Amino acid sequence: MPEGILCNKQVVDTKEKLNALLADKSGKQYYDEMTRLDVDTEALWATIEKTCKSRLRTWLEICAHCGMCADSCFIYLANKRDPKQVPSYKIQSTLGEIVKRKGKVDNEFMRYVMDTAWAKCTCCNRCATYCPFGIDMGVMFGYVRGLCFSHGFVPWELKIGSGMHRIYKAQMDITTEDWVDTCEWMVEEYEEDWPGLEIPVDKENADIIYTVNAREPKHYPEDLAEAAILFHIAGENWTVPSQGWEETSLAMFAGDWGACKLQVESVYAAMDRLKPKRMVVTECGHAYRATVLEGPYWAGIKSGKTPIESFHYVEWVAEALRTGKLKIDPAKKIKEPVTYQDSCNYIRNGGLGDYAREIMSYIAEDFREMKPCREHNFCCGGGGGLNGIGRYRKERNIGLTVKRDQILATGAKLVVTPCHNCWDAIRDLEEVYKIGIRWSFLKPLLLGMVEVPEHLLPREE
Amino acid sequence: MFKKILFATTSSPACDNAAKVAFDLELKWDAKLMVFHVLGVPTRGYSSFVTDVRTGETESIDPDYVEWVTEEMKYTYENLLKDSENSTLEAVIGVPHREILRKARKENVDMIIMGAHTRDEDIGATRYRSVVGSTMQKVAKSARCPVIIVSRPCTTCWKLFSNIVICTDFTKASNSAFLWAAKLSKEVNARLHIFHAVDINAGEPGKVSGQSEIEGRINEAKGRIETMYIPELKDFDNYEVGTREGTPYVEILKFAREKQADLIVMAHHTREIDPELALLGSTVEQVVLRSACPVTSVNHPDKVADE
Repeated sequence: MPEGILCNKQVVDTKEKLNALLADKSGKQYYDEMTRLDVDTEALWATIEKTCKSRLRTWLEICAHCGMCADSCFIYLANKRDPKQVPSYKIQSTLGEIVKRKGKVDNEFMRYVMDTAWAKCTCCNRCATYCPFGIDMGVMFGYVRGLCFSHGFVPWELKIGSGMHRIYKAQMDITTEDWVDTCEWMVEEYEEDWPGLEIPVDKENADIIYTVNAREPKHYPEDLAEAAILFHIAGENWTVPSQGWEETSLAMFAGDWGACKLQVESVYAAMDRLKPKRMVVTECGHAYRATVLEGPYWAGIKSGKTPIESFHYVEWVAEALRTGKLKIDPAKKIKEPVTYQDSCNYIRNGGLGDYAREIMSYIAEDFREMKPCREHNFCCGGGGGLNGIGRYRKERNIGLTVKRDQILATGAKLVVTPCHNCWDAIRDLEEVYKIGIRWSFLKPLLLGMVEVPEHLLPREE
Repeated sequence: MFKKILFATTSSPACDNAAKVAFDLELKWDAKLMVFHVLGVPTRGYSSFVTDVRTGETESIDPDYVEWVTEEMKYTYENLLKDSENSTLEAVIGVPHREILRKARKENVDMIIMGAHTRDEDIGATRYRSVVGSTMQKVAKSARCPVIIVSRPCTTCWKLFSNIVICTDFTKASNSAFLWAAKLSKEVNARLHIFHAVDINAGEPGKVSGQSEIEGRINEAKGRIETMYIPELKDFDNYEVGTREGTPYVEILKFAREKQADLIVMAHHTREIDPELALLGSTVEQVVLRSACPVTSVNHPDKVADE
């Protein structure tokens, strides 16, 4: 069979295609079709010749097989130091082989590549900081994912996810009406406790344009309300766009570069349209990487920068606490031992480690670093889309043990997790391994601690 | 008075008593009943997995699974559905309180009926998922319409209610609760008991109030009931006023028992909720968990005024 009905080389760009995929329980038919999917070896080689350029080729060739990357990889550590989990081996046995064989690989091999690219690497880029040559297996696996995607070898959930972006410009099926209505709804629900609370939609020339993760309006709109309340307390002049509010990119996890471009362009268009001074994104790691770090390149912006200055939520919180826009009631600081999960995408890859520490210095009395921490911290275990792929649940759960042991060693029972993927991974590790911890985003913690100016309190009649 | 009723159920025995009330109301008031079940809690990050609300198991979600759960609901409510004339069944994925509120808002319902989560594991389960507080509490706090919580068998048909107790603490929310209770009392011709409990533990911790001070506060409460509420009743005279001192929830329960109340109506305090303490914290929770009759929580003026 050259191509399957569900598993094929086409992108998902209509609701019909999307619904057909969604109706396939756990991707059963999809993965079955994948075993018979033809590999277009010529097209694969043509793509490689066109896109696998000097940096990647050099990296493949200069790897000295020294093994320095081995211990840097949490998946290698979690799997009892299985040599097949050494990053260098993982990339040489996949991309290295495809290049060596000039693209002449078969279906079984491509499935091996897919399983390696999504279940054995979360693209956390930690190995790159330990390789003496600076070879970044995370970047290379990002590239491999793109190859896999364009040839139809992509995990079912991510095929769906990238399709959502193409159809809805969001990772979930949320229309503009749904989104705007959710903003109104949250104001209705909270304005009694917070008189004057607003979620201004499409306000021009605001100081801040706020963007979110689609799962917030879809399932957890309180998160949006909490953001609004904190902006309200801080006295910010802010807005959300009616379109271009979604900052995440499952397309990036999937390697669907076309959808990546469409998605970030929708956010950049909102910036151009509303002319805010700067952008702040919610507590999400990969969203920041996609829209702030990688997005400008996908969109072909020469400067490599977003149209306006863009900030992660931790940068805004740190600034608000530093400048006194938000004041912490000293009596309400976190007293118990607390640790912080460094999200790879905005700490290691975005360099925001200092902001996280600054925040903790204001809100916690007994802050305990994980070892290693900051840029050297390990992935939560669920990054790069791994949390969401049913096919690799077992592998994901093995990987979680590294984070589990790091948390246990701190002695903290509370983990601050300002990233949706980290939040999920840490919740799941508690469910699987039951170590008795709690975890939280920053917003609810801050709301429990900030001093509320008298004039913002509701008046009791 | 009740044209659209949302019955939010866990589809488990914990909601059986609430189910009977819900279906009874549908028939007796010619209402439209929406039986609504939130089946799975989704993850925060991207995932197609949800945690089944009843079993705690991780499930992979697809249209078939939702359909299967809806079928199960039909089976669960088979007996009640036999006589039902205008009801729908629906199962959705999401965080329970959020989806219940979403549905109530979308359909503009006149009341929400829920069972109380009296089983420890239910409450534990929601806490465990880092969703602090119970579904009932969050719905009661934010819903624009009255929320009726039924935790024990309610043997009297609503149309035959003879005693309704409204507990007030004179807040704005309490005013809405009063208006709704008064409206219902008139409608079914029940006796309305307007009640206030002076909290002797309020104020400075450890301070013991003298008898004259307590009596002063009781008289003040009586005065407020006279001026705030009685004029609103106009020509309706089937009411009485009651005041007590003590720990409010205990006094409310005792008073309700004495008066053989069929229904307790009160406001759900928005300000007293500290999420960490909320499970056992508020007066409403205590009353709901211990009351022999259904409890209605009314907090907003939206669905209480006369049409």
